[in-house]
Amino acid sequence: MKIKKLLFVTKFESLCYDALQSLLDLRKSGLEHVVFLNVIEREKVSMRRGKGYIKEDEVRLKETANIRFIDWAENLFEMGMEVGAYIEVASLIPKILDVVEKETPDLIVIGRSRKGKLEQLYSRSDITELTRRSPVPILVFKHLAEGKMVPAKLFDRPLFATSWSNSSEKAVSCLKELGEVIGELHLMHVVNEKKLNSSDTHDVQSVRKNERNRLEDLCGEFAQKGISARPHVYVGDPETEILKAAREYQATLIVLGFSDRTALAERWLGSISRNIADKSMFPCLLFPVKK
Amino acid sequence: MGKKILVVDDDPDVRSFVLTVLEENQYTPLVACDGVEGLEVIQKEMPDLVILDVLMPRGSGIRLYRHLKTDDALKAIPVIMFTGIALRSFLKSQKVLEAFKGEKIPEPDIYLEKPVEPQELVDAIRKKLD
Repeated sequence: MKIKKLLFVTKFESLCYDALQSLLDLRKSGLEHVVFLNVIEREKVSMRRGKGYIKEDEVRLKETANIRFIDWAENLFEMGMEVGAYIEVASLIPKILDVVEKETPDLIVIGRSRKGKLEQLYSRSDITELTRRSPVPILVFKHLAEGKMVPAKLFDRPLFATSWSNSSEKAVSCLKELGEVIGELHLMHVVNEKKLNSSDTHDVQSVRKNERNRLEDLCGEFAQKGISARPHVYVGDPETEILKAAREYQATLIVLGFSDRTALAERWLGSISRNIADKSMFPCLLFPVKK
Repeated sequence: MGKKILVVDDDPDVRSFVLTVLEENQYTPLVACDGVEGLEVIQKEMPDLVILDVLMPRGSGIRLYRHLKTDDALKAIPVIMFTGIALRSFLKSQKVLEAFKGEKIPEPDIYLEKPVEPQELVDAIRKKLD
């Protein structure tokens, strides 16, 4: 699975040109087309008590976005890339899905939503909603206001935490196509502590050895594609251990498959991928379950 | 009936502006909202002139322009680029694509940076058609 076309969803305050620039390394492995999408929330231009619908607000917001997109597009055109843009007053997730259908991108890039905890509990985050409904992988960037600098080379040291699921397989197939941009890939699997309940040391070590062998086999597959990969087995709570590994190996990006829990189960029990995407300081590349 | 002029632009306000100018000057306007639709209309209607935006969804004006200028059946149709993208960026993109694809494309007949006054647009059209 090659990334030839990406959809860059921005509200400008959360995701800007520096994030886009960190992705331009993907040109080495086939990226040739960027589509910008700015969704203006309906509330910003909707009917106001005593004032009605304010057309000027819509025009101002659209033109502001257009000016930014023209500036970004000029840079990309000058590199010989293909660029498109949408500026729409709409609801965010339905509009993203609409554009995904029209443009068929290989990757969606989006900033992290900033809903409150209570709001997330009942309405879920935009990222969760999108991952449930999108057939396309999603790269989640962090909010600029959090003061996190975007790494200059996003794919230099990705950490891929595999759960050996269907969505993890999709991640493998995508990463294999990125040999030109990946510096060193860190492959990890987190063994749940419950699996190590045996009092027999031999059993515990067997679990670790089996997982390590699986990871080494996968490293071999990446090596055949010219990608240097290192295996790591961790034990404990997956969310904590993945973030620990990301810090230890100074990951530039965390790659995760999304769980195939039902929406209801996920809302009440949580999801590792969702929690990491929502809370961590690292950019996250999420692979959805949906085909 | 006046000469057929196709406007390819995703912005409804711009389409409306150009359409009004064309109708007031007795041309027959055709419209398309993006590069893909633009090519379909060109192949079907064979307009006398195309007024083309650059930054659009579903295929940019750069892609459509290159397609027009490399298709023997369409390359004679004059094109006025009408866009917010600077001419410098447009020309640079053509140079990079030329080097990459190995095909040299002529520069657009006329390049207008938005916004323009109606008379400026009319003058540009007349220069190509009359």
